[in-house]
Amino acid sequence: MEKQDSNGKFIVPIGPQHPALKEPGHFEFAVEGEIVTGAAVRLGYVHRGIEKGAEARNWTQNIYLLERVCGICSHIHATAYTLGVEKLANVVAPPRAQAIRTLVAELERIHSHLLWLGVAAHEGGFDTLFMFSWRDRETVMDLLEMITGNRVHYSTNILGGVKIDLDDEKITAIRKGLDFLEERTHHYLKVINTDETFLGRTRDVGTMSRQQAEELGAVGPTARASGVPRDLRVEAPYAGYHEFPVRLITATEGDLHARFVVRMNECLDCYRVIREILDRLPGGELATRVPRRIPEGETISRVEAPRGELVYFIKSTGGDKPDRIKVRTPSLCNWGTVTSVAVGHKLADMPMLLAGIDPCFSCNDRMVRVNRPDQSQTWSWENLRQYGIEYYR
Amino acid sequence: MKIGAMLGDILRSLFKKPATELYPFVKNPAPEDLRGALQYDPSKCTGCQLCIKDCPANAIELVTVDKVNKRFVMRYYPDRCVYCAQCVQNCRFKCLAMSDEQWELATTKREAFVVHYGKDEDVEFLLEKAANAGVEEPCIQE
Repeated sequence: MEKQDSNGKFIVPIGPQHPALKEPGHFEFAVEGEIVTGAAVRLGYVHRGIEKGAEARNWTQNIYLLERVCGICSHIHATAYTLGVEKLANVVAPPRAQAIRTLVAELERIHSHLLWLGVAAHEGGFDTLFMFSWRDRETVMDLLEMITGNRVHYSTNILGGVKIDLDDEKITAIRKGLDFLEERTHHYLKVINTDETFLGRTRDVGTMSRQQAEELGAVGPTARASGVPRDLRVEAPYAGYHEFPVRLITATEGDLHARFVVRMNECLDCYRVIREILDRLPGGELATRVPRRIPEGETISRVEAPRGELVYFIKSTGGDKPDRIKVRTPSLCNWGTVTSVAVGHKLADMPMLLAGIDPCFSCNDRMVRVNRPDQSQTWSWENLRQYGIEYYR
Repeated sequence: MKIGAMLGDILRSLFKKPATELYPFVKNPAPEDLRGALQYDPSKCTGCQLCIKDCPANAIELVTVDKVNKRFVMRYYPDRCVYCAQCVQNCRFKCLAMSDEQWELATTKREAFVVHYGKDEDVEFLLEKAANAGVEEPCIQE
C-alpha cells in the first residue's frame, strides 16, 4: 500500500475506502519505520449539497433537511437552526418547549458519547467494551424512540417550539433508564481508569497541551480534555440551560485517556441535568406561532453539540425561504489537532487518535464555493442535482 | 491497575439471554408515539393543503374529486416519506396521524409505495380514469 514520493519519504495512504474507517476520508501519513513524521487529511467525499438544498426549501422543510446533516447529533442541528430562525422572527419558544429541547439534546449527548466510547474502544482493540457500551446505548435509543417516535431523526423541533410532550408514564421510564445508565457509566469509568492493557493504549497517547488546543481551535470534549474551559452550555446558555445549568467538565492531561474520562463524566452530568429537568418541568404551551415569512436579517446561532461548538449562520431576505444557511460543524475544527498531534506517534496509534476527536465525516463536507474571476455563475438546486447525476454517470 | 477489567461482565453474560431481539420471530410492540406510515381520514379533510405545503419530501398529493362536496383522495408515497410528522402537526382538522402498527414497510414491489386514501368509490373512480386515459389525472400541488 505504501508509495514513495519524490522526497524519499514513505507515505501510507489510508482511505477514502478503508476497513479501519467507518466513513470516507483520506489520510496520508509519512512514516519513518513505525513512527509518523507527517500527516495530512483530505475531506469532501460525502458532500451532499445540503446548504444549497436549504435555499430551495421553505423555513419549515429546512428543519428536516438540516436534521440530516448528521445522524448522531440530528436534534442539535435542528435546535441550532430553529433557535436562529426564532431569533430572526423575534419569537421565543415557551419554557416547556425549551426544557423538552434541552432534555432531548442531553439524551442525544448520552447516546453520542456511549456510541463514541464503543467506537474508540473498538479502534483500540477493546471489543468487549465496544459490545457492552453499545448494548447499553440501546437503552437511551429506546428512550428517545419512546418520547419522540423515532430512533435516529427525532424531529422534535418545530419553529416556535416542540411537537412532543412528556407524561408521567414517559417520565418514569426515563428515570428508570437513567438509573441503569448511571450505574453502567460508573462501571465504564472504572474500566477505562483501571484496565492496564487499555491504559497502555490511551495514557500519554496524543497528548495535546492547553496552549496547543487553543491555538488549533479545538472544540468540545477534545478541547475540554486539554483543560480549555469551553462549553457553550455554560458560556452562552441557550434553550433551557439558563434554567438547568450544566457543570463544566474538564481534565488537564490532554491525552486520549483524558478524553475518555471527560466524555464519561459529561454523561454523568447529563443524567443529573435530565433528572433536574424532569423534577422541575415547566408547564404551559408547547409552541408559539411563527410567521411563514421570516423578517429580513441575518443571525448567528451557536449551540454545544456532543462533539463541540456548532455554528449556524442564517440569512433571510423576508421570504418564505432562507437566502443563505451556513453550517460549521465541530468535527471540522478538530481535524487540525489530529494532524499536528500525530507526529511522533506509532502508525498503530493513528486509528485511536482519529477516533479520539469523535470525527463525523459527513458533518464536515458541505458546499465549497470556488470563485474564478473568469467563470462566475449561480446555480439552482436543480442545476446542481443534474450536474451531480452527469458527473457520476 | 488490573488486567481484564471486563472479565466479570463477560462471565456474567454467559448465563444471560442474548441482548439482541429475536426479530422477526418475536415482534415487540412499537412505542405508542412511533412515527410509522401516514394515515388519512377523508371525512374530516377540507382540502386546505397545508400538509402538502410543508412536506419536506413531496410525499403527499391531494386529488380533488369533487370540491363542493369535499371529496378528496390522498396519494401517499411511503418511500419518499421521511416520517417527520410535520403534516400531522400542520393539520388543523386532525385528519392525519402516524401509525404505530404499520412500520414494516420494506417491500420488493413498487406498487406498495403508492397508497391511495379516500372513500372507496372515489379511489376506484380515480384509478379507473387513470387506466382508461393512460395519463395521470391532474393533481393539485402548491
